Amino acid sequence: MRLNVSLIIGAILTFCAISIAVVSTFWLPYNPNLPNIPNRLLAAGSAEHWLGTDVLGRDIISQLMVGARTSIVVGAGGATISLVLGAIMGLIAAASGKIVDETISRVADIMLSIPGMVTALVLAATLGSGALTTIFALTAFFTPSFTRVARSAALSVLQEDFITAAQLYGRGRMPRVARHVFPNIAGVLIVQFTLYFAAGILTEAGLSYLGVGVTRPGISWGLMLSEAQNQVGVSSPLAMWPGLSIVIVVLGLNLMGDGLRDVLDPKLSKSIL
Amino acid sequence: MVTYLIRRLVFFFGALFAASVLIFILIRAAGGNVAAIVLGRHASANAIDALAAEYGLDRPLPVQYIDWIKGMLHGDLGRSFRTGESVADLVVSRLSISIPLALSGLILGLIIAIPAGVFAARNAGRPVGAFVGLLSQIGIAVPVFWAGILLSLLFGVYLGLLPTGGWVPWSVDPIQSIRSLVLPVISLGLILGAVMTRYVRSAILDVMNQDYVRTARACGMTESQALVQVGLRNASLPIVTVIGLQMAELIGGTVIIETVFSIPGLSRMILANVAAREVIVVQSTVMLIIVFVIFVNLMVDLLYSVLDPRTRLGQ
Repeated sequence: MRLNVSLIIGAILTFCAISIAVVSTFWLPYNPNLPNIPNRLLAAGSAEHWLGTDVLGRDIISQLMVGARTSIVVGAGGATISLVLGAIMGLIAAASGKIVDETISRVADIMLSIPGMVTALVLAATLGSGALTTIFALTAFFTPSFTRVARSAALSVLQEDFITAAQLYGRGRMPRVARHVFPNIAGVLIVQFTLYFAAGILTEAGLSYLGVGVTRPGISWGLMLSEAQNQVGVSSPLAMWPGLSIVIVVLGLNLMGDGLRDVLDPKLSKSIL
Repeated sequence: MVTYLIRRLVFFFGALFAASVLIFILIRAAGGNVAAIVLGRHASANAIDALAAEYGLDRPLPVQYIDWIKGMLHGDLGRSFRTGESVADLVVSRLSISIPLALSGLILGLIIAIPAGVFAARNAGRPVGAFVGLLSQIGIAVPVFWAGILLSLLFGVYLGLLPTGGWVPWSVDPIQSIRSLVLPVISLGLILGAVMTRYVRSAILDVMNQDYVRTARACGMTESQALVQVGLRNASLPIVTVIGLQMAELIGGTVIIETVFSIPGLSRMILANVAAREVIVVQSTVMLIIVFVIFVNLMVDLLYSVLDPRTRLGQ
């Protein structure tokens, strides 16, 4: 069997990001929100602050570590809730009659045609900004996609002979779906989960950059970039680290999703590496 | 064909109705007492009631909803609470900035994505193809605002070639306006291009394995001829779909890039009004954007049925 390069690189990058986020829950080099004016704008490479400090003297590494946690909690949170809701809706749509199926499918279509960024702005306006609102917004625009994917995957599984066999054997409709359909679409859903996890991280960063996502004392890579931009020209490395972090984590998740798709569905080998 | 058209139109209006109800409920029901929020904590009850009465906010919500939709249909998008300006006027002046920005970004994205996607597909399995694919994967992972920040650092701060942000109105100095749009358009185009390259590549890969491309090759076309003359037309279907799907991405990207470069477009206006709790302005502007996106999706569906007669028959 050929080694799946995408999957390996992606899994390593993702594992590192998650480890950093976990470590940040019990250990940080410095308090990431504590200003230290005498040490402000230290360059990277100083003995105490490896990546330097920002305009208020706050340690960059500590902020990046908490940022990793924010990204992963918000991205995974949004993707997980959407996965669960979408799988349930999609399976119900596929297994029910035409009316239920049409209703669920059309509602999903309508929700998909509303631009996610705009929904997020409206939600931020009404619910206030914060990590929870961001997760809620992500759920609102990822769930319809999961519903669609789960529905079409379930429909093709329902055509299979073993489903008819289970029916003849006397299993009811819902037990059939739970026992036989769900395990067969789990692979597709896992791939989707990985890709939307990544999309969630990008969206969270964007919303926090705009000031309607995570705000201080919370820390997000998007928020750090927004603060850094006000200092551009003074200390441009500040604008490098959070951006690089986003790219590495999102790239890792996307590569992993691609690799998983190849492994779980070898017929459709389209991964780039 | 007629049934297909009717089905699409029914969905179009159904989607508009559902979206408008959703937006109205979200903003009005969750927003609390609008007049009190606008006037602030120290306003007297009389002043709040007066403002509510002036803008019709004291009427039942369904009546307000119907009034809002009626107004929208007649081109009346309401007025701002604070300045009294008509929302329609505000929107029109902002669109003269946002539309050129978004459209140029989309076109640049396509100019990058189509050749890059075809190239990556033709060289699939070879190192050069993988390299283009990897570049596109990296591009997808780059947040559009970071691309903007880096470009403004490079061309604005270090090289001093282009403005790092700000805006000169078209009527004052069009050359300067275009210069202000160069970096935002490049940021938007690069990221959209990276996303779309992936779709183009996989569309071409699908087409290349089809019998008709093999037949074209057997009839004496070179691989490039077969790909361009037979393959690209067939691959155009998924590509049109992608453009439709990218609308949401494009609008999201424009929202962010306008902030990066302090360009006073439509999305900056929405952001400012979200912060100021200008409910009517936000509600109407957001609805306009949704109308636009749903309309583009309708057009994509219709274009699809022109390009591929099969879609008219099958459901």
